[in-house]
Amino acid sequence: MSTFGKIIFWVITLFVLFIIVAPLAWIYLTAFKAPNDIFTTDVKKLVFFKFTSENFQRLFREFPFWPNFVNTIIISAASTVVVLVISALAAYSFARWNTGRGHLLFTTISTRMFPGVVAAIPFFVLYRNLGLLDTRFGLTLLHIYFNTSFATFLLYGFFKEIPEELEQAAMIDGYSRVDIFRKIVMPLVRPGLAVTAVFCLVWSWNEFLFSFLFTRVTARPVTVLISSFWGSIEVQYGPMAAGAAIVILPTLVIAWFMQRYIIRGLTFGAVKG
Amino acid sequence: MKEAMTYEAAGYRLTRKPTIWETLTSERYFKWTLLIPLIVLLGIFMIYPLLYCAYYSFHQWGMRGNALYVGAQNYRQLLNDKAFLEALYRTFKVLVICIVSELLIGLGLALLWSREFRGENVVRGLALLPLLVAPLILSLLWNFMFEYDFGAVNIVLQSLGLNKIYWWSPERALYSICFITIWQWFPFATFVLVAGLRSLPKDVFEAARVDGASSWYTFRRLTLPMLSPLIMIVIVLRTMWLIRLFDPLYGTTRGGVQTELLDWIVYRTAFVYFDIGYGSTMATFSLVLTMAICAIMFRILMKALGGTK
Repeated sequence: MSTFGKIIFWVITLFVLFIIVAPLAWIYLTAFKAPNDIFTTDVKKLVFFKFTSENFQRLFREFPFWPNFVNTIIISAASTVVVLVISALAAYSFARWNTGRGHLLFTTISTRMFPGVVAAIPFFVLYRNLGLLDTRFGLTLLHIYFNTSFATFLLYGFFKEIPEELEQAAMIDGYSRVDIFRKIVMPLVRPGLAVTAVFCLVWSWNEFLFSFLFTRVTARPVTVLISSFWGSIEVQYGPMAAGAAIVILPTLVIAWFMQRYIIRGLTFGAVKG
Repeated sequence: MKEAMTYEAAGYRLTRKPTIWETLTSERYFKWTLLIPLIVLLGIFMIYPLLYCAYYSFHQWGMRGNALYVGAQNYRQLLNDKAFLEALYRTFKVLVICIVSELLIGLGLALLWSREFRGENVVRGLALLPLLVAPLILSLLWNFMFEYDFGAVNIVLQSLGLNKIYWWSPERALYSICFITIWQWFPFATFVLVAGLRSLPKDVFEAARVDGASSWYTFRRLTLPMLSPLIMIVIVLRTMWLIRLFDPLYGTTRGGVQTELLDWIVYRTAFVYFDIGYGSTMATFSLVLTMAICAIMFRILMKALGGTK
């Protein structure tokens, strides 16, 4: 590359990075601003202002931030564990025997394309009758449902990479099918399981539609709390930014350290980034 | 029973019947045993909602009292429902705008970033940051950034001597929502295409250069066709996600100022007006539509997957 080409390259690159990063940084700037610095028209105050932790104090004092945060952790962790068990078994079956000749795999993946509200209507009525509305258990079940298809498809790709000869060799050594799965296949697919687990955690962490429809107070995840700051009467920008700053931090860290796997995960394993 | 017969036919004396565990893990049934949890789950969470919505789409019911059978009246109403048809139209508009913009921006940046350069990992790490952040939170963020008086975008515009823009006007709101979505997702298209460009065979391009092909010709005749499976993957996956766009609406206009999309109107009918009958009709319709699109898309996707492996 010529020097001129290099300059153009970096000007464009830095501009694009600015467009991407500035709004995210903006959340963190707003989180540390006093109300009169948030509601200002002075362009300098966008970046230069007096740091204050007032928003965080208000968030913790006046709103049930930590209980809601704990709900999010419990629901996403519990649903991820169950999803991994169900989808690892299924994905192995699909990858090794092509069970159902692709039709079943298509049915599985199509749940991911289901409009969320289609499942929401019947389950809302059912949950109301069973008393499952606003319970962590109820919401966890729904998260299991919407993550399983994704996890199955992603793991399918990882299982496919394991050579079948390895299993045949183990069978000659007298391993049963269950032993092969437990002792040969599972250890090999562990990195794939880790990647899948992280993605399930993130999807569940970010999920909004079901959380918003099926919880009110006790089981409310933190995304729903943050959305409630943007009301039709008043808008609590300060606590909203403070809450958002905490909630998105884990996902930003994960995105940074998983950068090699993000594209692979998002394309269901089709593109090895 | 069947196994006992075959053992006997082979001349063995079977001393005992196989246990349930042995049957489940036998060579013949193990692949189905592995699928039991998934099939139970799909049965509950797919078949039940499907049947439920299909059933109530022929009824009038508002969550209280008994459902009243009304035949196909809900479907007739749906096809004449201006709000619903507009939501459908808007959904397709958002689909086209977002996918085309993401692909164009993505292709441009992919051509830029596909070479190896210093600081590559930092650039990629920063560019991929928005992808895993909750769409709801990003839409709340942009809602504030696009605020008329105190939003960062308008303050910056003003300091540059430009006019403030009312981003949430009925003419602009839908495009503002598209912008938020594109902003979050163009890095996805970019890095899918970067992966594609990096895996292209170098010798073909070398040969084209030796033959004196112009760079535009090489791009159009070699690069684009070779990238097409990856472009298809982006289109398919983005269609799947965009067709059910909901969170960015909740964080910004809440379906107001002419931004109502497919999922939102179903939500409003079923959960704001509690009209389960008509809501189920909409849900069934949008489900059939999505399934049809997805069946086509899935076929393309599997073909594209075969092409990249």
